Amino acid sequence: MEILQYSLRKLIAGIPLVLGVTLISFLLIVYFGPDKTYDLLGKNPTAEEIAEVRSQLGYDRPFVPRYLEYLHEVITFDFGNSESTDEKVSTILSRTIPVSIALALPGFILGNVLGVMFALLAAYFRGRWIDKFIMGFAAIGMSISFLIAIIGFQILLSSSDGLDLFPVRGWDTSTPLQYLRYVTVPTLATVFIALGYNTRFYRAVIVEEMTRDHVRTAKAFGTPPARLFYRNILKNSMIPIVTRIVFSIPFIVISGSLLLESYFGIPGIGKVTYDAIITGDQPVLKAVVALTAILFVVAQLLTDICYRAVDPRVSLK
Amino acid sequence: MVRAVATCQTWVSLALLLVPLVACSPGENAVAKAVPGQKAFRYSLDSAPTSLDPVRASTLYANQIVVNLYDTLYAYKYLQRPYELKPLLAEAMPDISADGLVYTIRLKQGVHFIDDIAFPDGRGREVIADDFVYSLQRHFDPATRPGGTWLWQGRIEGLDDWKKTGSDYAQPVSGLRALDRYTVQIKLTKPYPQLVDTLAQGFSGIVPHEAVEHYGREFSVNPVGSGPFHLVSYDTTKAVLLPNPAFRQEPVDLVFEGYNSDTQGQYGIDIIEGRSPPFLDRLEIAFIKEGSARWSSFTKDNEIQYAGLPNEQVNRVLASTVPVILKPEYAERYHMRSALEAGFVFSAFNMDFPEFGYNENPVREQRNHALRCAIIKGFDWRSRNDSWYSNLGVIFPGVIPPAVPEYDTTLSAASVSYDPEGARTLLAANNWNAENLPVLVYGTTPGPTSRLFYEQFRAWMKRIGYPPENIQLKTYATFGDIAKAWRNSELPLISKGWGLDYPDAENTLQLFYGPNGSPGSNDGNYNNPEYDDMFRQASVMQPSPERTALYRHMNRLIINDCAAITGLSRRGIALWHKNVIALPDRNFVGGRFLKYVDIVQPES
Amino acid sequence: MSTMNTSAVSGIDGHGDSLWLKAARKFKRDRVGMWALFGVFIYAVIALGVVFGFWGGAWADVTGPKWAPVSAEYWFGTNIIGQDIFARALYSTRTAFEVGLLVAIGATALGAVFGAVAGFFSGTWIDEIIIWVMGVLDSVPFILLVAAIAYSLGGSPWAMHIAMIATFWIGTARLVRGEVIKLKTLEYVEAAHAIGLGKVKIIFRHILPNTFHILLVQATISFVAAIKSEVILSFLGLGVKDGMSWGLMISESTFEVLAGFFNNFIAASVLMFGLVMAFNMFSDALQDALDPRSVK
Repeated sequence: MEILQYSLRKLIAGIPLVLGVTLISFLLIVYFGPDKTYDLLGKNPTAEEIAEVRSQLGYDRPFVPRYLEYLHEVITFDFGNSESTDEKVSTILSRTIPVSIALALPGFILGNVLGVMFALLAAYFRGRWIDKFIMGFAAIGMSISFLIAIIGFQILLSSSDGLDLFPVRGWDTSTPLQYLRYVTVPTLATVFIALGYNTRFYRAVIVEEMTRDHVRTAKAFGTPPARLFYRNILKNSMIPIVTRIVFSIPFIVISGSLLLESYFGIPGIGKVTYDAIITGDQPVLKAVVALTAILFVVAQLLTDICYRAVDPRVSLK
Repeated sequence: MVRAVATCQTWVSLALLLVPLVACSPGENAVAKAVPGQKAFRYSLDSAPTSLDPVRASTLYANQIVVNLYDTLYAYKYLQRPYELKPLLAEAMPDISADGLVYTIRLKQGVHFIDDIAFPDGRGREVIADDFVYSLQRHFDPATRPGGTWLWQGRIEGLDDWKKTGSDYAQPVSGLRALDRYTVQIKLTKPYPQLVDTLAQGFSGIVPHEAVEHYGREFSVNPVGSGPFHLVSYDTTKAVLLPNPAFRQEPVDLVFEGYNSDTQGQYGIDIIEGRSPPFLDRLEIAFIKEGSARWSSFTKDNEIQYAGLPNEQVNRVLASTVPVILKPEYAERYHMRSALEAGFVFSAFNMDFPEFGYNENPVREQRNHALRCAIIKGFDWRSRNDSWYSNLGVIFPGVIPPAVPEYDTTLSAASVSYDPEGARTLLAANNWNAENLPVLVYGTTPGPTSRLFYEQFRAWMKRIGYPPENIQLKTYATFGDIAKAWRNSELPLISKGWGLDYPDAENTLQLFYGPNGSPGSNDGNYNNPEYDDMFRQASVMQPSPERTALYRHMNRLIINDCAAITGLSRRGIALWHKNVIALPDRNFVGGRFLKYVDIVQPES
Repeated sequence: MSTMNTSAVSGIDGHGDSLWLKAARKFKRDRVGMWALFGVFIYAVIALGVVFGFWGGAWADVTGPKWAPVSAEYWFGTNIIGQDIFARALYSTRTAFEVGLLVAIGATALGAVFGAVAGFFSGTWIDEIIIWVMGVLDSVPFILLVAAIAYSLGGSPWAMHIAMIATFWIGTARLVRGEVIKLKTLEYVEAAHAIGLGKVKIIFRHILPNTFHILLVQATISFVAAIKSEVILSFLGLGVKDGMSWGLMISESTFEVLAGFFNNFIAASVLMFGLVMAFNMFSDALQDALDPRSVK
């Protein structure tokens, strides 16, 4: 009950954030975004036709009523139709978001699980060669551009010039085996890059915990390493780790990965969002922005509840 | 406390695990899956179309798909070159009145739209003359956001007025009528020799009003037509089409289609003789923007079976460029066709800029003329061809490209010859020097290629004495944005590629017709009364030697006025797997070739 | 109180730069860190050489044939239009420093000011507003923000820098805010209040200098992040407008690698990798040296 009440309060407190995000984004989109008019016009338009399209797009209306209309759309969650494809925005989102999640999930889980594992290993052997080896690899992963990793993995693993083990492009989740075929190479590229950042971050967190007084004391009293790790170190490191994980969820759900999607031909939301940004497809953009903001509020709530679950001293107030 | 952590983790991971369940539920319906033993063709395009509604089939990509979903009255013959029109949904070529103003067209009977829930009983209704009238009227209805209005604007009696009075479909249009269930009559305001060509465009695809009403705006992704295929799935990465089971039986007559066994024999097309298309069980069209991904996918055995040869692969794949010959290891695996595009790339000067074009001061205008001519001389077409088109393109003077019948082989090549020395002399003789040369803003869209185009141009200009800091880059975020700058006459130089809509030089000459100035298609705002008179005169003439002479004269006016840096026609090389029997086309036949594609030895 | 706070305070009351001296000594003993610093120094020399026109000036000239191989004349070969890749790679080093330094300084300065103000006024409406702005900017998709800023500045060459600064400052601000909340309860701050010093003076003269170790590390992190983001943004056409950069070279190379021409790709990737790697290690060593708890 307490949690429910708390959640509700927290969600209401999130309204200013949603308002802020939608207002700033909409300002950017309306005043600084690309003009869709000339995208839609034929080869030899007349001034009259230009005016017709502009008014259909709502460009001739003042900002405030348009923003209020946007807020109404956020509440009813009906953003109308895309100006590019004319498809319903809700149809587009419900088709592409699951794909993006299915694409990102394995890399996300592997990247974090492996990151924590390597970080523990490195932290445990701090200063020794295992630590240096792991951190060296992390530094390499962090220094390579994602774009280069994608091109490299695709040529190496998928093309007929390379090992030719996986399909170059496509997406099929009808059977687990098919899913595995298509998701492997993008996942490898993601993990390769994410692992460096994750390992470094988690190692820092764990090292911080290891140097705390109570851990040192426990160590001095001869607590077995496994117990020490699990009870004193890992548990206390959970707060920053969970925070990091939960806060990356909105981006996975909404932003997708433009580069992965366009190189591997995966019909996710990343490409939809990018196309909407560069062509000024306002209905799609409005939906994406609102959804991101709402997910952020939810993520905040989740981490708060997790904090409290981990450490009851944090009161829900 | 440990338990609390575990609960929290479980909760988060549970939430995460639920999601893929949704993701794994079948996204496409069961028909959309490939079945072994089927004749499936996996085709590819460089970009995804935005809308599949014929009124908005403005891009080459949309057009390729739309002509497979919808019928048009006319089409171009599959194999005949130069291109030639043939009736498609029309029974025959139109009856044209003696004054060239009244066209009467009979439709084939018994052709039906595909079955769709948009129809009252779910069964596809017969295609009738009213559907054609309705489909053309939609281009004059602002609510549909039409892209093809310009094809018929001011041409058909009463149609423009129909739009002015509110685009009410209940109101008749005097020049566009169904005389009976199967007869269409079009009355023109003045002769329009290209009318039949316009009726072969994807824009004039015939749609049923029931579907437009039923789907509303989403009609663009729920096509209902009478073409050889129908759509089963469509997203940003691919479209899947299945054959229209009720498509009319029309056996292929290769002689009629213009088959030439000497030049086309190697493709094995003769196996389709006497059989009724479509021959495929399944057609997949992948949209792949990244050249590297497209090529990697093509060279695998089980992915896309068709790809254009990217510029960067030319040295690896071709044994020779003139003539185009594949290396043996590629010739063994792939069919190849090389064809010049029906279009060209060029840069028009914006004559409305007093720094480069027309000027109140006649002396300055004279000097501007010299400046333009010098820039043209300093433009190194051969290097551009070498860098970007592997020397496969054809450089030609003027704006009538080699792909159209009116192409003028007698023109002097002086306007496309690289002559930096001559350019410097010309500049000096007209008092141009590093101090007084005007700033030239070079507009592009983002991307490494267009950027290097700019760097190359700037380096050439440096060689003729143009200070590099006076050649300035302006990047427009999107094509829509640079189109806006063109339409509003904001750039002094307009660099673009133009693809012809129909095989008639009128389609490129209109790019320099004065009344088409901004926001129309004459982005350079070229305005020469002599040219405009001749254009008007030629626009009502049927193809004839006299008309060709007029076209060529107009072409020379553009060259003499140094109105544009022009031009180069690119050569496209298409490759497709050996088991695919087809002759792909990127010009006027376009996507219509897909109807005739057959597969030998279907995959097991 | 943890050791960090005491040592930070000691900076104020005259016991000298003990933190900094200790850190410098520790850093000098760190062999990897010293090598990394040396690497960064070499790159800085290359960049300065470009600024002063010693090399890299011919990056825009078209002199050679298409895709010339490595030779005495063209050390890294030429690109598709015949430009010298070596000159372009050198020139790009300057761009990298320009992007990295501007973004690092801008983002860190902004983060320091807003973080300190928010921390100092924590619990008041000023803090609330700053937290709200940070939350909002965090939730606007990055590409949308960059694209919108790029469009709004009408293709200005600074659009990318501004967009990065607008997002990168938030991380620094959050850290500084946390630190300032700790610092402001310390005696010397209370004392400053007591003798009637103005708030602005307290924040900028007495509190902010004690967060300098955080700022220094954050600046190195922003520097690396800026160089890496530039690659993706240039690929998307939202990056460097005029001039040359490794990101532009890599996006040029995406259509060359399949032709078997790797010069652009290798030159840019290797040079960028070297700088990013050196900076990352430098940043790590710096962090270690400035961390009073690290036992070495």
